[in-house]
Amino acid sequence: MTSPLLFRGRLLPRLVPYAFVAVPLAYMTLFVFGPLIQQVWMSFTDTRLMNPTAGDYIGLENYQDLFSDSQFYTSLNITIVYTILTVVIGVLVGTISAVALDRPFKGRAILRTVMLFGWAVPSVAATLVWLWIFNGQSGVASDITEALGLGRVPWLTSVDWALTSIMFVTIWQVAPFVMLVMMAALQSVPEEVREAARIDGADALNVFRNVTLPCIMPTMQVVALLVAVWSIRRFEVIYLLTGGGPIGSTSTLVVQLRLTAFEDFELGLASAYGVVGLILALLVASIHFLVERRRALVMLK
Amino acid sequence: MKTNPLFVLLRVILIAVLVTFAGFPIYWMATTALGTDTQLFNTGQVPYPQLSNLPDLFSALAEVPILRWMSNTAIIALGNTFLSLMLGSVLGYALSRFKFHGRGAIGFLMFMTQVIPEALLVVPLYAMFISLGLLNSLWGVILANVGFSLPVAAFILKGAIDAIPYEIEESAIIDGCPRLGILSFIVFPLIAPSLAAAAVICFFGGWNEFLFAVTFLMDPDLWPAAVGLASFIGEYETPLSAVMGTALMFSIPAVVFFLLVQRKIVAGLTSGAVKG
Repeated sequence: MTSPLLFRGRLLPRLVPYAFVAVPLAYMTLFVFGPLIQQVWMSFTDTRLMNPTAGDYIGLENYQDLFSDSQFYTSLNITIVYTILTVVIGVLVGTISAVALDRPFKGRAILRTVMLFGWAVPSVAATLVWLWIFNGQSGVASDITEALGLGRVPWLTSVDWALTSIMFVTIWQVAPFVMLVMMAALQSVPEEVREAARIDGADALNVFRNVTLPCIMPTMQVVALLVAVWSIRRFEVIYLLTGGGPIGSTSTLVVQLRLTAFEDFELGLASAYGVVGLILALLVASIHFLVERRRALVMLK
Repeated sequence: MKTNPLFVLLRVILIAVLVTFAGFPIYWMATTALGTDTQLFNTGQVPYPQLSNLPDLFSALAEVPILRWMSNTAIIALGNTFLSLMLGSVLGYALSRFKFHGRGAIGFLMFMTQVIPEALLVVPLYAMFISLGLLNSLWGVILANVGFSLPVAAFILKGAIDAIPYEIEESAIIDGCPRLGILSFIVFPLIAPSLAAAAVICFFGGWNEFLFAVTFLMDPDLWPAAVGLASFIGEYETPLSAVMGTALMFSIPAVVFFLLVQRKIVAGLTSGAVKG
């Protein structure tokens, strides 16, 4: 935006923008960036929860502990698997939902509303009902598998199933958001282009693949990035459904950070888990910046 | 164009499956809230809501401190909204209207807050709040939440301010109106819909938040509903119907408002992610 010519060259007006930015920026420094730096620093100290402000520098010891801890590799591994699968399946299910609801039909508004529930319901409330659905003894999920002759499945309490169940819940939460974004993207695909393709004899599938898909691809990338970052950050759903168990099989880096800090009281080691999680999130974000360089530059202009 | 009937059928089935998947848990929440513990744990759950059990549900809910939880939740949500909008609008206005050194860097930093896992801030904030006396206080939770809501509010409002013409403000500047006056009396009314959307997002950001609240609040009297609800897990004294009833009451405001402002949320989040 243009800055007022009127003020150019005078010192005081040139400080006006900084006066505006100062308070919000000070706030963010105090409550986000400062603590973040402190957390990274903590990963090089032997801080314990009983005395969180006093810890001695111990170099890379926490990272040595981290790399010799088998739980770290489990956590890293499931964080990556969980992120990739929730992104791929979540974006797929969400996009399919959006395409299915793209054309007007009777009752579409109601169905659309229902399909957004997973996104709109608070995580903790959603987690409670999923805990009940996945309950081993009386849950309806096992009632269904039993009726199908597959027997009752220990959805959240077995190493084989817990991560799958958590991903199921995550996709239930994430796909509606993807759908919402993709519906907006589909609306912006020019109808004339689709029409022209149809007149040229393309069938529905061809129109989708050659006209619609290229148009919505950039939006899909953005939404995939968001879902990926959310998956790396996600805490309460996993923490409340399984607490990271059984035997650490669903403990993503972020959950493991919490457990190490508030159950083992090892703040230094916990911070090291957090730093790895942060690096992962930053990696995802920077991949996005590389792919979307031009658009990112618009913002930095 | 002729549509293949097989295609239509497939689409109907697809939509039916997706709607069932999306809607079932909420239906089940309501159904469970209207069941009795004997049915739920012994004789098998009745798969439809039994409205005749409503009085039982209400008497069970009376045992749950819902009002206190809800008012704590509302205080956190309101505090978060107020602070985030106040700081976020000033920041959004500056990012939109001024060109200055460091503007790009600030935009980038704000974008980065969307990437940081909240869990990383819990321990340092915990330590900070101990020394400031903000542990076990709703204020601590609010202050921590604002750090994540402020950038979102700033993105949304920056986008809205970008879209209104500068000429209106220019004449006010020439007339000698101070900038903050311009922001409050000229810009705010013009971006009222976006302000409302940002307010809803911040409000429910605070409403739904769990991690900070569960870490910083030990006193059950201070718990917001999210923490109270989570405390039901592994506790067997409260009937399941009351647990689900509480979850429903906690969810309904969020669902209603999110559905009202859904489009703005999408615009805000995606533009935040793409353009900062």
